[in-house]
Amino acid sequence: MTEKILSVRDLTVAFDTRRGPLTAIDRVSFDIHRGEILGVVGESGAGKSVTGSAVIGLIDRPGRIAGGEIHLRGERIDNLSPEAMRRVRGRRIGMIFQDPLTSLDPLFRVGDQLVETLRTHTDLSAKAARTRAIDLLAEVGIPAPERRIDGYPHEFSGGMRQRVVIALALAAEPELIIADEPTTALDVSVQAQIITLLKRLCREHGTAVMLVTHDMGVIAEAADRVAVMYAGRVAEIGPVASVITKPHHPYAAGLMGAIPTLSQEADRLSQIPGAMPRLTAIPQGCAFNPRCPKVFARCRVERPEPIPVEASRVACHLYDAAERAV
Amino acid sequence: MSAYVEVTDLRRRFDVSKPWLNRVIEREPRKFLTAVDRVDFAIEKGETFAIVGESGSGKSTVARMVVGLLPPSAGEVTITGVSMTDPRQAAARRRLRARIQMIFQDPYASMNPRWRVGKIIAEPIRAFALIQGEGAIRARVSELLGLVGLHADDARKYPHEFSGGQRQRVAIARALASQAEFLVGDEPTSALDVSVQAQILNLMRDLQDRLGLTYLFISHNLAVVRHMATRVGVMYLGRLVEVTTAKDLFAAPRHPYTRMLLDAVPDLAHVGRARVPVSGEIPNPIDPPPGCTFHPRCPLANDRCRAEVPALLDGVACHAVQEGRA
Ligand SMILES: Nc1ncnc2c1ncn2[C@@H]1O[C@H](COP(=O)(O)OP(=O)(O)OP(=O)(O)O)[C@@H](O)[C@H]1O
Ligand SMILES: Nc1ncnc2c1ncn2[C@@H]1O[C@H](COP(=O)(O)OP(=O)(O)O)[C@@H](O)[C@H]1O
Ligand code: SF4
Ligand code: SF4
Ligand SMILES: [Mg+2]
Ligand SMILES: [Mg+2]
Repeated sequence: MTEKILSVRDLTVAFDTRRGPLTAIDRVSFDIHRGEILGVVGESGAGKSVTGSAVIGLIDRPGRIAGGEIHLRGERIDNLSPEAMRRVRGRRIGMIFQDPLTSLDPLFRVGDQLVETLRTHTDLSAKAARTRAIDLLAEVGIPAPERRIDGYPHEFSGGMRQRVVIALALAAEPELIIADEPTTALDVSVQAQIITLLKRLCREHGTAVMLVTHDMGVIAEAADRVAVMYAGRVAEIGPVASVITKPHHPYAAGLMGAIPTLSQEADRLSQIPGAMPRLTAIPQGCAFNPRCPKVFARCRVERPEPIPVEASRVACHLYDAAERAV
Repeated sequence: MSAYVEVTDLRRRFDVSKPWLNRVIEREPRKFLTAVDRVDFAIEKGETFAIVGESGSGKSTVARMVVGLLPPSAGEVTITGVSMTDPRQAAARRRLRARIQMIFQDPYASMNPRWRVGKIIAEPIRAFALIQGEGAIRARVSELLGLVGLHADDARKYPHEFSGGQRQRVAIARALASQAEFLVGDEPTSALDVSVQAQILNLMRDLQDRLGLTYLFISHNLAVVRHMATRVGVMYLGRLVEVTTAKDLFAAPRHPYTRMLLDAVPDLAHVGRARVPVSGEIPNPIDPPPGCTFHPRCPLANDRCRAEVPALLDGVACHAVQEGRA
């Protein structure tokens, strides 16, 4: 077994509102190992981004971590001071967001931003940092990096900007990268380039990656394991091939069937009735029960805990030994 | 017999010059962007013709010209033999208008947020004076709500009280209110979650079967296009590069760009597959490459490609295909 880089246990995130706290993330647990890409999928509002923000310590008021623990290489990081957490971010955890301009300052040359990041997090001299910055740009596939290093973000195309952001995220050789919808804003042909790049770098550097996306195709292609989130909970987590081709949880199964694919023709897509509940109206018991084709009495009262099923963990009463015996 | 929709040599240029004074001071000539260039296609009654392409390829511009929202710079669109541009056919065009409707990616933007849904759906009925009497109109609105899977009581709600998928149903109900027979959907499900997208795609196919609708379906998502289309046109930088049946396009793509695009799409069937990523990005449309605009990214490009624009012959615009060297 390779080394565990990130370990999230029973993470709970609440948003305090006038009408009381709303639980956006409800006892979420998962691990990511060295060199592994964990895909986190789910429909909008499922809690993917909030989970990512919690790991990097960027939950802002009125949100707060209301329970659970987050460990980075065995060291607890969810209770660090803001100052200590700032040092962890950037140096030990890199970040890539959907819009590259959230990570890049439009007023500074990309080279200066890379050099600054390198000098903050490593002990390289100014000259060595510039050389390293050029190497990084070359590594992420920017042509003529010794010239482009003096360009401003707006002089780069969307795909090239996202490459620069990846260079920034990698600059301090972090152990973990949180990538939240990194290819969602890009054209498919460029998307493929970015995914290929991310996979290669992760393999070469042994970086663990949490890849958040709503695009199952991207997950199929890039992830080693995948967590399917629903209403702030993990419905199923397991090896990517198993979750995509043989999902166990009724929601995961419905989701996979709803996605049109290039390889097979279907007259109708399988359809899950209704929509994901709002945080103010999460159903009792299993959060999926009003939409579930397999619902039974127990589902409406008791929340299913994740149970090992083959190589996956599935939060569904159907897989409880007691139910299977019936 | 002519087709239901005929698009001939359609072109659209946009003036993207700087303001007059800047041009004079900076000695810059006027600049034009050719968003749509020499596009020809036909749509038969009852079929779904899809246009697929990456961002900026000109899909929306074609859609807007087809429904008459944007005047073409050159070329012609005729629907049931009526020209959408010829001033002499203005009266016939007015009669046709009610039968052509458009559905957008963001239905909220096309609805008056202060109107109840009943009034929104009834608007085309009133505008074209299709039904007389409030009671009869209300009955028709209830019928339309039922048709798209909503409840008659939903007529009293405001758009913000609905989810994205439900709002798209309202938009479809409104489009059908005028007895439309030709619907143009510009990325109608791109903003929706996959499970909701499946509901809307299924609904659109059901309605097509029941009402004999003809669709022009615009999307950047190849899997969605494969699911919906009878025939497909692939656009690149304002030109149609391949037009064929959906079956042939996905089984045996011929144009190098189509092949590249199909290869680049992350797909559920591709678990863990390593692909050869496509090289390069889409060039700036203000200053497109000469000859075949795809040549800087094309593995088959030669001198002729760099000089001569390939014409769309037998459904493909590519010299290599025509020369039998593809
Ligand atoms: N009003 C306008 N003025 C100037 N340029 C325009 C205008 N409308 C569109 N364009 C340009 O025309 C080209 C085609 O645009 P269009 O919106 O048709 O693309 P699209 O294929 O629908 O893209 P997307 O997938 O992003 O919706 C683009 O380069 C766009 O920037
Ligand atoms: N600042 C906030 N205040 C209140 N609720 C929030 C806030 N940020 C996120 N949420 C809620 O938390 C839930 C999960 O959100 P998010 O993680 O962004 O979803 P995803 O990334 O899966 O689309 C959603 O219901 C969202 O509305
Ligand atoms: S616990 Fe019950 S309601 Fe929930 S997914 Fe399983 S069967 Fe369906
Ligand atoms: S015309 Fe030439 S450059 Fe264009 S797609 Fe065909 S082979 Fe490639
Ligand atoms: Mg998100
Ligand atoms: Mg568009």
